[in-house]
Amino acid sequence: MSRFRDPSTISFQYDSVRRCIIASYWIIIALALPLWWKTTSIQRLPLPTSEVYTQAQKKLQIPLEICVDPVFSSQVSSIHASIRNVASYLEVNVNIGQHCNQSAGYAVLPGDQLLIQDRKLYYPTTLAVENLPSTLVSLVAPEMDQRAAQYSPRYRLSFTLLNEDGSAGQVVTGWDIRQAISQYISPITSALGILHNFTIESQVQFHAPLAFEPASLADGTYGLTPENLTVFINSAEWTLSSSSSNDPVLHFVLFVPSAKRRPLTILNLDGNPSSSSAFLIPQWGGIVILNLPAPPPTTLDLTLPDLRSSFSPFSRQLLTLLGFPRLPPSVSSSSKGTLSLWQIDSLLRQRTHENVVRSHDTLRSTVTVVSQIQGMPVDSQVQAQVQGALKALHELFAFARTNLSLDEMLVYSARALTLSSKAFFHPGMLALLYFPAEHKYAVYTPLFASAMIPLFAAAMREVKAWRKERKEAKAKAAKDVAVDGAAMDANAVDTSQ
Amino acid sequence: MLSLRPTHTLALCILLRALLAYWISPSSVSSTAGFLSSSSPLTSWLNLQEGIYLFKRGIDPYSGGVFRHSPLYLSLSSLLPISIFSNPLFCAILFTVADAFAAYALIGIWRLRQGLRLTMESSRDSLLVAIYMLNPCIFIPSLARSTSSLDNACLLGAVMWACEACGSGPGGKSENESVVSSKRSRSKSRSLLLLALRTHLSTDTLILLPPTMMLILSQDPGSRLASPRGFVPGTKNKSTLTTPILVLLAEWFLYWTLLTLLSSLVVGFGSGWMGQTWGASFTLPDLTPNPGVWWYFFTEMFDHFRPFFLMVFSVHLLLYVAPVCIKFQHDPLYAFFILTGILSTFKPYPTLSDPGLFMALWGVFPEVYKYLRHPLVTFLTSLHALLLQPLFAHLWLSHGTGNANFYYATTLVGACSGGLALVDACWAGLRIAVGGVEGVDERGEEKEVVTQQ
Amino acid sequence: MLRTGFFVIFLLLSSVLCLEDTVEEFQEQLSFKSLRDGRVASTFSFKTLLKDATPRDPQTLALDNDDSQHYTLFPLTLGQILRQYAITELHLTLNAGKWNYDSWGYPDEPGVGVGAELWAWMADGSSLSIDERWQGVRNALAGLFCASLGSLDEQRTTSPRLSFPPEGSLPDWGLPHELRHASHASEHVCTENLTPFLKLLPCKSLSGLAALLNPHRLFDADWHGMSLHVLWRPVGIEMRLNFQLVSDPLRISTNKKQDWSFASLFDRVVEKACPVAKSSRVIVDLPTYGVYRVHPEPSEILNGKAYYDLTNSNQVWDIGTMWPVDFEYPLSKPTEALLPFSVRRSLFGSTQDRGQLSIVVTNNQNETLQMLYLETMPWIVQFYLHTIRVHSDDIPSDNLVSNITYVLPVPHARPATFESVLTLPGHSTLTFTMDVAKTFLRYTEHPPDAQRGWDLPPAFLHPSYSHRTDLPTTLVASIHHPYLLI
Repeated sequence: MSRFRDPSTISFQYDSVRRCIIASYWIIIALALPLWWKTTSIQRLPLPTSEVYTQAQKKLQIPLEICVDPVFSSQVSSIHASIRNVASYLEVNVNIGQHCNQSAGYAVLPGDQLLIQDRKLYYPTTLAVENLPSTLVSLVAPEMDQRAAQYSPRYRLSFTLLNEDGSAGQVVTGWDIRQAISQYISPITSALGILHNFTIESQVQFHAPLAFEPASLADGTYGLTPENLTVFINSAEWTLSSSSSNDPVLHFVLFVPSAKRRPLTILNLDGNPSSSSAFLIPQWGGIVILNLPAPPPTTLDLTLPDLRSSFSPFSRQLLTLLGFPRLPPSVSSSSKGTLSLWQIDSLLRQRTHENVVRSHDTLRSTVTVVSQIQGMPVDSQVQAQVQGALKALHELFAFARTNLSLDEMLVYSARALTLSSKAFFHPGMLALLYFPAEHKYAVYTPLFASAMIPLFAAAMREVKAWRKERKEAKAKAAKDVAVDGAAMDANAVDTSQ
Repeated sequence: MLSLRPTHTLALCILLRALLAYWISPSSVSSTAGFLSSSSPLTSWLNLQEGIYLFKRGIDPYSGGVFRHSPLYLSLSSLLPISIFSNPLFCAILFTVADAFAAYALIGIWRLRQGLRLTMESSRDSLLVAIYMLNPCIFIPSLARSTSSLDNACLLGAVMWACEACGSGPGGKSENESVVSSKRSRSKSRSLLLLALRTHLSTDTLILLPPTMMLILSQDPGSRLASPRGFVPGTKNKSTLTTPILVLLAEWFLYWTLLTLLSSLVVGFGSGWMGQTWGASFTLPDLTPNPGVWWYFFTEMFDHFRPFFLMVFSVHLLLYVAPVCIKFQHDPLYAFFILTGILSTFKPYPTLSDPGLFMALWGVFPEVYKYLRHPLVTFLTSLHALLLQPLFAHLWLSHGTGNANFYYATTLVGACSGGLALVDACWAGLRIAVGGVEGVDERGEEKEVVTQQ
Repeated sequence: MLRTGFFVIFLLLSSVLCLEDTVEEFQEQLSFKSLRDGRVASTFSFKTLLKDATPRDPQTLALDNDDSQHYTLFPLTLGQILRQYAITELHLTLNAGKWNYDSWGYPDEPGVGVGAELWAWMADGSSLSIDERWQGVRNALAGLFCASLGSLDEQRTTSPRLSFPPEGSLPDWGLPHELRHASHASEHVCTENLTPFLKLLPCKSLSGLAALLNPHRLFDADWHGMSLHVLWRPVGIEMRLNFQLVSDPLRISTNKKQDWSFASLFDRVVEKACPVAKSSRVIVDLPTYGVYRVHPEPSEILNGKAYYDLTNSNQVWDIGTMWPVDFEYPLSKPTEALLPFSVRRSLFGSTQDRGQLSIVVTNNQNETLQMLYLETMPWIVQFYLHTIRVHSDDIPSDNLVSNITYVLPVPHARPATFESVLTLPGHSTLTFTMDVAKTFLRYTEHPPDAQRGWDLPPAFLHPSYSHRTDLPTTLVASIHHPYLLI
């Protein structure tokens, strides 16, 4: 046995060497931990969550100045109350003044007949003064039409001329669309240009079969029942414009029934033909049915006079779809045919308010979803979009009272809406649904658990051995001190003896 | 021991290998015995020829994923005509000479370890030559013209000169101090140059740098396994090691930078080649199967965890450097040997040359043989892996009746055998210090080996 | 703010004023050819011309507003796509089957590569890069045609320099034009691709020659393909919609005669004429052999073709050809080749990691000709250019391939583009072989039916490189058989 050396005396078995080796393993693992973090983390940039929540609580107050002639001074408080009742986003300021007709805001003046001119309302004294508040409410904050499309900064207006069956005997091969648009549609689009960016396009289709049979009436004409109207648009067969960009489309369809099923009328609920040949599909567009006179020529190009009866309903439908409020029936406008400033302003205010509410909702949903789903990445684009939307809202709220015109307010609200929608629907935000936390542990455990066990065991053993050594060394030192003390005492006793 | 003189053995082996290399074409080797294991995407001769062809036509070979060799090979191509790279005579001579040099370096390492001079013969030399040149793991990649044979020659030459550059080297008192020291510094420079070249050719050889530098700094390359002590440098000032280490590192780094600059110059001062050559070991772009364990794991790994596991596998190689060097600081050559084994098992793109090198280095340490615990198991496992790997690769890819799992199973067995060999080598290297002979011959006497006290 | 408002109004008004009235024209044509092996090749061609229109200048893409588009015959959905991405020239083909050049001759439409193929010329100069616009147009066309064209991403897109010159003219804006070409050989074509195709026609499939497009018969044909071409000539923007098919009347006939007619081929007849077609005609290639009768009587016969004018006619048309005798299949190889060249392309190799790509071109003419040879291969197949071997009639002659342009494939990112010029001596067979390696894929990259493997895109040969106008412009060489990858 003597030829075996005691292993504890071999140089590589010394404690220092062993501890150095274990420490070197652990040092490399510790240095690699940040790399682990970096390679497995998903990019989640911080979103201004608290700011979004605070912003979402705020309510927009759009200032409204009305200068009222002293004649109507009794109605000031009821004007105030009735407008606030209907539209809480309006901050109404009614003042009585002598020189209302020079004021920049709205003015209520006495006049001969009930009409509006620019931003002035002439209220005749013959009418009851108590009706003034309700008239003002219907001018300033009318109810939003439910059929109007949702606000979007850009719209495509798509005009389609459909021949139900071009080969049946008569076909309309073209129409003077440019002139018609410039006469009937362009005034609207230019007046509302601040609200929306319009792109106009048109096409002609020569075969547009209906998906159902119209009812055949007693006098040889054909009619469309109200149920037929709901399924009139045959999207499968008709190639209506579906734009390749994300902008919503408002369709205007001019339908020419086939020569065999002519004339085609719209029936009332009681089965009698109604006088109008146009109907509106809410938030989608409008349709006008054009019955050509008989006997028909085989090919026909529609000229501007032919299109008059079609394009005036189109322009009315366009206004409805854009949410343009109607004048109350009793009020007339001094400038007939153009859109009055009262209506445009109230549309601007309504759209601004609607945009702000939608932006608040979208931003709130975005930050809630991001905070709830831990696996959802947030990249710099999303962060920039949320911050941009917040900035636009801040500026809107900060300057709403002071020096923003309605146009500028709308632009800010539109930008906030666009950016918040883009952030919410950003494709890079799809959560990593493939990797729940359990999956991650399942990937890590087989490889690392078995490798880490010996490292941990060795480290534990070393720590225990080191602690035991320290304890023994302390005990030994104490014992030495005691022995020394006892020896000294003994010496002292000895010497004293 | 063979009774032939080593030079005769060497000449015989060279002749045999040259004839084999001339007659056997590389494609027949890499489709039979060396299927998938003789060359990797980093070392394939076919890819080298393709890269040179593109380079000569003015197309940047690093713009795609086919050429992953160093630009220094491209510089060679501008000196030689392109047809020479498919000439069997040239290739036979090149690879046989490289293997012969590696065998000579192996003998040199053995001689220096025994305390003899490089020019003196010892009885084991012929055996070592045969172990290297007739080893199937070495000559199959060589016949398949894989540049890993050239890499091995580089590495063994670096270690031989590192042994020669040791502190108080062998030599009688008759030699002049200055001659000895100048010879030593020449060997040191040669060793560092070859090391820089080897690291330039493939970055995972970086883990072999610390033991080689320890070897250069140590007193002598002799076996100190039986009598370990703390690391004693062979320099004049035995107390501080910082300056000599820094000097060595600086020289190595200088050589390495020069090689990098030269390579960038060859490809027109671009740096895209670094991502294609060195980056391949870290990003594993090519999933061609090889005898290693990386390719299958990363074939099935999801993209989300890919960078993480690439990092883990690379750090895993680094993990073993410090412990092995600290444990075997008394015998840096043994530390080098262990790290070669680790590299051969856990490299990203191994070929048969890497376990072949590990096998050949076993011959330099006969003192540990009697302390091995399970040599038979290790031998049989590696035989199992070596025989079945080409068979299953053929079954999978040529026959179409197997699938990737067949070949993967054999690579797992190969990794297992590598692990067993490493564990046994570590055990024996440490056990020998405790002493006592495990096996006694018939006369009951200890068998002694030449060790230094 | 107000400035942008005025600017918008100005743009709107100016857009209404400055776009002149364009005149549109629609012509349709159907041609028939009896082929050597008893089959019938029919080509429907619908051409819409938008006179005096120009493609959109990409520099105007930065301004969000485009001019208003008003069309009568030109389809609005396609016009929107073309203007949104400022495309100058566009070609899309969706084919199924392998065109047999040796028996069928040269097709009317040169693009007969299997699967989906899309290429476009775009001018570079807008805020959106060409690759972004390429991606947009791919996705928009994928939605329009219900085809998975969105998968023609950068792993399949190449830009060959010489092989696809623009068919029309390129407008002179002082901007460089670039080509993007992508193909997907695994795309299957079926009725859901035909329906949107028909919706682009003014008369849809309800009147005119398009009424013959019966999907039951079209997709039963031995070869069928639809294509869309939009190009610009100085006279205006031309849009061509084609449908080619090769039907086998012998398969559907009860007797052994190669008679065909509208009713037997398409199971439909032309009852109503398209009201807006400027010209609508049927052309029947009169075969030079045999005795046959064409019914009804053609309006004129010119240069071996019978012409029928269906413009604005209100009679029922059922055009056909009848033979009195049974059809005899040609038993021996024909002495006269239909085309000056014949091509055969194959991928050899029995292992799953290596193979050999080979293309064999036979020149049936007397004089030496040069051909441009284009290979675009996804990165899963790696070429080894140094193994290119060229044999002319079994004699090694590596100098017959020249002018090699090669763009290396990048794994997971870019396909390989290999363009070279092959010189064919008269009356000889040229064999071009190149070793390839098949890459090992990640687990997630395998296609759904992994055992079937991948379909490789065809190669293109352009004999027109010799600057001779009597030669066909493109030959498409599909692979001889699909192959497997692990």
